[in-house]
Amino acid sequence: MIRFTQIASFALSLLVALALIGLWHFVASARLVPPIFLPLPEKTFDALVTGMQNGVLLDASLATLRRMFFGWFLACLAGISLGALVGSSQKLRIYVAPMLETLRPLPASSLIPLFIAVIGLSEGMILGVIAFGALWPLLLATTHGIVSVEPLLIEVAQALAMPKHKVLWKISLPSAMPDILAAMRLSLTVSLILAVVCEMLTGSEGLGQWLLATSRAFASTKMFAGIVVLGLMGYASSLIMNLVEARALKWKSAAN
Amino acid sequence: MSTAMPAQISLADVDVSFGSKTVLSGLNFEVFKGEVISIVGASGCGKTTSLRLLAGLLAPSGGSVSFEGKPVRGPRRETAIVFQDYGKALLPWRTAEGNVSLALEVMGVPGPERRSRISELLALTGLAGHHDKYPAQMSGGMQQRLQIARALAQDPAVLLMDEPFGALDAMTRQSLQDELLDLSARTGVTIYFVTHDLEEAIYLSDRIIGLLPNPGRIGRIFDVPLPRPRDQLITKEDRSFLALRHELYDFVKGSEH
Ligand SMILES: Nc1ncnc2c1ncn2[C@@H]1O[C@H](COP(=O)(O)OP(=O)(O)OP(=O)(O)O)[C@@H](O)[C@H]1O
Ligand SMILES: [Mg+2]
Repeated sequence: MIRFTQIASFALSLLVALALIGLWHFVASARLVPPIFLPLPEKTFDALVTGMQNGVLLDASLATLRRMFFGWFLACLAGISLGALVGSSQKLRIYVAPMLETLRPLPASSLIPLFIAVIGLSEGMILGVIAFGALWPLLLATTHGIVSVEPLLIEVAQALAMPKHKVLWKISLPSAMPDILAAMRLSLTVSLILAVVCEMLTGSEGLGQWLLATSRAFASTKMFAGIVVLGLMGYASSLIMNLVEARALKWKSAAN
Repeated sequence: MSTAMPAQISLADVDVSFGSKTVLSGLNFEVFKGEVISIVGASGCGKTTSLRLLAGLLAPSGGSVSFEGKPVRGPRRETAIVFQDYGKALLPWRTAEGNVSLALEVMGVPGPERRSRISELLALTGLAGHHDKYPAQMSGGMQQRLQIARALAQDPAVLLMDEPFGALDAMTRQSLQDELLDLSARTGVTIYFVTHDLEEAIYLSDRIIGLLPNPGRIGRIFDVPLPRPRDQLITKEDRSFLALRHELYDFVKGSEH
C-alpha cells in the first residue's frame, strides 16, 4: 500500500518534470524567447553530455559539490555545537541573544569583502563564508529545540542522577532532532547558493564561475547545462535529506 | 510495621515553601523498608511535592529528609520515580527497549548485560515481545508498564509513584495494581504511592497518610489491617476495607471545607 503510493507519487513528479521540459521545448522551439536566452532542451542536454565527457563541466560541478558539502559540514558542526551551548545555558542565552539577532540577518555575501580582507582569496575563505551563512538556521533550530525539551524528561534525567553532558546527549539533542534536521535541509540549500555566489565573486573553478563565464560568452546551452546540474544537485540533496529524516525520525512515523 | 525497625526514609519537621507560599508544613513521618505507603488528600494539598522531596528533586525549606539515616541531598539511584504523565515521561524516540536501557546506561551497565536485563524487565512488566515498539505505538497501560520497567532498571530500594494509574481504564488499573503488589511481595521494594483513589490506596497499602490542605500537613495516618495477599474481590468486600473506606472518605471530604 505504502509502496504503491510512493511509486504513484514518484510517477507523478516525473510526469510534472516531463511536462515542464515539454513546455520548455515548446517555448524555445516556437522562439517565444530568443535562443540566446533560452536554448532548446535537447541542445542543453547535448552541452551537458559534452561538458561531462570532456571533464570541464564535471570538474566545475565536483568543485561546487565539494564546497557545498564541506561548507555545510562546517556549518552543521559549528551551528549544532553553538546551539547546544546556547540552548543549555540560560546565562549564555541572555548575553549572546542580542548579538546573535544582530548578526543573523546579515547576508553572508555582504561579508565576503570582510573575509577577503581578513583571510584572503583562499579556498578556506569560501568555506568560511558558506559555513557562516549556513550555520544560522542550525544555531537557531538547535537552541530552540533544546530550550523546548519536555520538562518532565529533564526531571526523568534528574531522577536518574544523570550528569549534565549526558542529559544533553541522551535527552536534549535527540529531542531537538526534528528541528535540527529541518535546519540541516535548509542549510544545505543555503550552502549550495553560497558556493555558487562565492565562485562567481572569486572566480574559483566551479558552477558559479561556469555560469558567469558561459553567460558572458552568450554560450546559453552551456549555461543552461550548468543550471540543470545545479537543479539536480539541489534535488539530490533533498532526496538524501529525505532518507536521513526517514531514518532518524522513524519514531515519528511509527505512531501511525 | 514494627517500630523497632529503623526507618528507611524519615522526614523531621519538614516545611516546603515556594516564595511566600507554604505548601507543606511540619511533616513528620517515617517510611519502613518493604512497606507500601499511600498518600491521599485533596487536589493541590502537596502530594506531588512530598514525592519530589523524597526523590531528592526538591530540597526542604526547613527540617530534614533522610534516607537510611543520611540526609538526602539530591536524586539517588536507590529511589526511582514513576510519573503520572506516562505519555510525557517516556522518550518518544526510543523503543521500549531503549527506554529501559536509558536507566541502565546511566548506571554504566555494560552492553551485553544490559540486553539481558532489559529482556528480564520487559518480561517482568508484561511487555515481552514489545521490545521494538515506540511509546506512541503502545496503549496507556503498556506505556505505564514501560515506565515501571525503566524505574525497576535502577534496581531501586524505593519506588515513588505519582498517581501512576490515574489515567487508565478500570480493568487495566486493577491488573496493574495486582502486578504492583506482586512486585512488592517478590522484591521487597518500598512503595510510596500518591493517589486520588481511596479504594486504590486501601487495596495497595500497609499505611495511608491523609494530608490536609493549606498548608499541606498530615491529618492522620491510617493503618490498613487487611491481610496479604490481597484480592480484588475478597479484599474489597472485607469489613475492615469498607470501614476504612468510610473513614478515609470522611477524612478527605472533611478536609475540603
Ligand atoms: N514549583 C512550584 N512553584 C510554586 N508553587 C508550586 C510548585 N510546585 C507546586 N506548587 C504548589 O504547591 C501546591 C501543591 O502542589 P502539588 O502538586 O504537590 O499538589 P498535589 O497534591 O499533588 O495536587 P494534585 O492532586 O492536583 O496532583 C499547589 O498549590 C501548587 O500550585
Ligand atoms: Mg500531584
